[in-house]
Amino acid sequence: MSNNEKIASFIGKKALRLTSLLIIVCFASFMLIQYSPIDPVRAYIGEMPVTAEHKAKLEAYWGVNTPPQEKFLNWAGDILKGDFGTSLIYRTPVIDVIEERFTASLILMGISWLLSGILGFALGIIAGANQGTWVDKAIKTYCYALAAAPTFWLALLLLIVFSVYLGWFPIGLSVPIGVTADNVTFFDWLKRLILPAITLSLLDIAKITMFTREKLIEVLSSDYVLFAKARGEKGLDLILRHGVRNVALPAITLQFLGFSELFGGTVLVEQVFSYPGIGQTAVSAGLKSDVPLLLGIVIFSTLFVFFGNLIADIIYEFIDPRIKQQEALV
Amino acid sequence: MGDPISLSSHVSDGSISGSSDKLVSEDSDEPASKGSDELVVNVNSHTGEPETGFDPLLGWGCGHVNFEPLIQSTLFKSADNGSIINDLATNYSVSSDGDTWTVHIRDDVRFTDGKNLTAEDVAFTFNTAIGSNSELDMSNLEKATAVNNTAVEFKLKEPQSSFIWRLRYVGIVPEHAYKKETYGTNPIGSGPYKLVEWDKGQQAILELNENYYGKKPYFKKITMLFLDKDTAFAAVKSGDVDIAEIEISHANQTVDGYKLVDLPAARAQGLSFPMQYNTGKKSLQGDPIGNNVTADITIRKALNIGIDRKALLDGVIYGKGAVEYTGVDQRDFGNPEAKINDSNPEEAQKILENAGWKDTDGDGIREKNGTEAEFKLYYSATDQTRQALSVAVSEQAKQLGIKIDLVGASWDEIYANQYSSAVLYAYSSIDTFNLYQQYHSKEADDTYRNPGLYNNSIVDGYLETALRSTDQDQATKYWKLAAYDGSTGFGPAGDATWLWLVTIDYLYMADETLDIGTPQRNAGADVLGNIYEWKRVDTANSTSK
Repeated sequence: MSNNEKIASFIGKKALRLTSLLIIVCFASFMLIQYSPIDPVRAYIGEMPVTAEHKAKLEAYWGVNTPPQEKFLNWAGDILKGDFGTSLIYRTPVIDVIEERFTASLILMGISWLLSGILGFALGIIAGANQGTWVDKAIKTYCYALAAAPTFWLALLLLIVFSVYLGWFPIGLSVPIGVTADNVTFFDWLKRLILPAITLSLLDIAKITMFTREKLIEVLSSDYVLFAKARGEKGLDLILRHGVRNVALPAITLQFLGFSELFGGTVLVEQVFSYPGIGQTAVSAGLKSDVPLLLGIVIFSTLFVFFGNLIADIIYEFIDPRIKQQEALV
Repeated sequence: MGDPISLSSHVSDGSISGSSDKLVSEDSDEPASKGSDELVVNVNSHTGEPETGFDPLLGWGCGHVNFEPLIQSTLFKSADNGSIINDLATNYSVSSDGDTWTVHIRDDVRFTDGKNLTAEDVAFTFNTAIGSNSELDMSNLEKATAVNNTAVEFKLKEPQSSFIWRLRYVGIVPEHAYKKETYGTNPIGSGPYKLVEWDKGQQAILELNENYYGKKPYFKKITMLFLDKDTAFAAVKSGDVDIAEIEISHANQTVDGYKLVDLPAARAQGLSFPMQYNTGKKSLQGDPIGNNVTADITIRKALNIGIDRKALLDGVIYGKGAVEYTGVDQRDFGNPEAKINDSNPEEAQKILENAGWKDTDGDGIREKNGTEAEFKLYYSATDQTRQALSVAVSEQAKQLGIKIDLVGASWDEIYANQYSSAVLYAYSSIDTFNLYQQYHSKEADDTYRNPGLYNNSIVDGYLETALRSTDQDQATKYWKLAAYDGSTGFGPAGDATWLWLVTIDYLYMADETLDIGTPQRNAGADVLGNIYEWKRVDTANSTSK
C-alpha cells in the first residue's frame, strides 16, 4: 500500500466515522432532553403565578407541544445549512454563546493539558528511573490519591486552602472584581487562571505518570538497555537516550486520548471556580432544556474529543517510527 | 435608620465573637472599593445572572422576582413602608369601567444617550412586552398608546386593580435604541446607574448616571458578582464583597468585619390542602383530584390551630423569619382578622374529637368512618429548608393524631399530585393578582395556581370585586374580606385552605462600613431597592472589636 493510498483511506474512514458519530450523539442527546422529566416552561416560571394565556405563549416559545420528530428534523435541517439556531435561555445565536464560552474553556484546558503532560511525564520518568525507592513510592502514593479524588472535591479543597485561608488566589472568576476589560492586566488574568488550571491538570497527572513509569520500567528491562549498560552507559544519560525517547511518543498519544476526560473535568472545575466556560453553559442548557444550545455544545465537544483522538491516531499511524518499521517488515 | 417599630431591618452584629475563622484581610487583590464610594455586591435573589441581559422586557427586574432594575426607571416605585409612590409617573387615573388606565409622566427625564424619555417610549415598552414570551406576563394588556408626550393610556382586556404592580416593576426602554437581540447586553435606560461592562458568567459593572433625575445614590460604582451562595460566602470570608446573600444554614456563622443583615421576605411558605373530596375525578392532564382527609375542614382547622409555628421558626430556620398565618400577613392587604391563635393542641384535639376523628384502634392515628387521618405531603427534594420544615410539621401533626407522609420529589411529580396531596409551596407575592389566582375558583384548572382547587362563591365575589376595582383602597378592603369576612374566607379563621407556616428572611453578610438605610418592607429579595439611601460610614464609628 503506497503512502498516499494509506492517507486517503485513513481520511475516508475517519470522515465516515465522524459523520456517523455526530449523528448518533446528536440524536441521543436530543432524545435525552426530550424524555427528561423536566418541563422547560415550569422550570422557567418556577413558582411564579402566570395566567393560562401567558403559559400557552411560553409553551409555544419552548416548543413543548411540537412533536419531537418535527423538532429534531427542523433543527437538523438548520444545522445542515450552518444555522445553529437561537438559544432559548440566552436568546442570542447559539454560535455566539459557544464561541464566547469555548474560547475561555480552551485556554483553561490547553494550559492544564500542557501542565499535566509535562509534569506527569517528568514524574513518571523520575519514578520509573528510581523504581522501588522511596521516591517511587511517594510518587505512586500521590498518584493513587489523586486518581481516587473526585474533581469537584479537589477543586473545593484547593479553593478553601489557597483562596479562603491563604488568600493567595482570588475565589473565582476570570476577571478581577470591578475592573473593566481595558484595565485588566495580563497578570490579573493569569492569576485567575492558575488555580482552576492546576486543579484540572492534577487529575490528569496521575494517569500519565503511572503510564510513563510502567513504560520506562519496561524499557529499562529490555535487551537493548542491557546492551547499552554493558557498553558502560548509565545514570541520567541512559535514561535520556533510551528511556525518554522510547516512552515519549506513547505518552503523547495517551495525552491526546485524554481530551474527553479533560472536557469532563472542566465542567466540574468551572462550576466550582465560577469560571465562565463551556462547562457551566452546558450545565444550565441541560437543566433548562435549551435544546438548540445543548445540541450545539454537544456537536462542538464531540468534535473536540474526536480531533484529540484523531491526533493520537495520526501520531500512532504515521509518526511512530516503530510502526513504520513494522509495516516495512511486512 | 433606627426606627424601632419597623419590621424591615434587624441588623445584628456578627463581629463580636472571637476569631474562630482565620481570615485574610490584607489581600493584595482586594478591590479598591473598601472605604470608598464603590460597592461590590453578590445578591442572588436580586439578580442571579440575567441570562438574557439587562432587558426588562425579558425579565430583568420583573417576572419571577420583582426588583429595582437600576439601569432603567419605572413608572412607580415603593416607599419604605411598601406603599406605591410615583417615580416617572406624576399621577394616574383609572376609568370608571376599570378598563383604561391613564398615567402622566415627567417631562424632564433623559435616557443616558441624551434623548428624552417620552410617553411613546412607555407605550413602546409595554406593547413590546406583550409579545416578549418571557417571565413578564402582560396577557391582560390590550394596548398602550401615547396620548401626548407625557400621557400614556393603557387599555386592559379586563379591569385589574393589580395592574399597578406591572407599572411598578417594568423598566422603561427607549424605542429608538431597543433591539431585542442586543438591548440586553447594551441597555440604555434612565435609571440611577448605567451598565459599563458585563463579563458574562461573572460580573456586571454599573456606574452612576450623572444625569439621573431623582435623588442620586452615594455609590458611584456598583459591581454585581454572579457567584452562587457558597462561593459568595467564601468571597465574604476573603473580604472581596461588601454585601452578599448567604444560605440560611450560615445564619450562625460570623465573619470579622461583617455584620449579618436579615430582611423579611415577600413570599411565605405553607402547605396547600386539596379541598375536594376524592370522587375519582381527574384533571385535564389526567392527574387525580381530591383527598378525603384534607377536604374535611376540621382536619385543616385542627392543624392550623394545633401547629406551633414559633417552634418551626426557631427550630428550622434559626428564628430568621416570621410566623405566617394567611400567606400575606405582613402586606397592607393582609387581614389580621383572618388569623387564629395557634400552638393550641388541646383545642385542636377537641375539634377533631367533636367531628368524629377518634383513635379507636390505638395506633396513634385518628380515624373516622374507616378513613385514617393520613395524607401525603410533597416537597421539593432539592430544597433542604423545605425538607426540614416538612419533617417538623409532620412531627407536630403526629401529636395531634394526624399522620403526614413525606414525599420529596421533583417539581413535575409535585404538580401531578397537588390536587390529591398537600404540597409545601413558597407561594405568595407582593402582587395582589396572586391572591386572585390562588383562591378564585375560576383559576382551579389544570395549572398550579389554585392547587387546592378551592371553590367558595362568596370568596370569589370578594376577589372579583377587588380585582375589578378602580381604586386601590377599595381593592385592599375586598382583598381583606376575601381572607375573612367574619364568617368565611380563605384564611385559617375561615375555610383554612392552607396551612401557612413561616416566611424565611433573606440573609446578607454586609461589610461593617456599609449603611443600607431602611430597606423597603418585605422586600428582602430586592435589597438594592433603596440604593439611594446606602452609604459608607466611618469604621471607627461603628461597633468596635
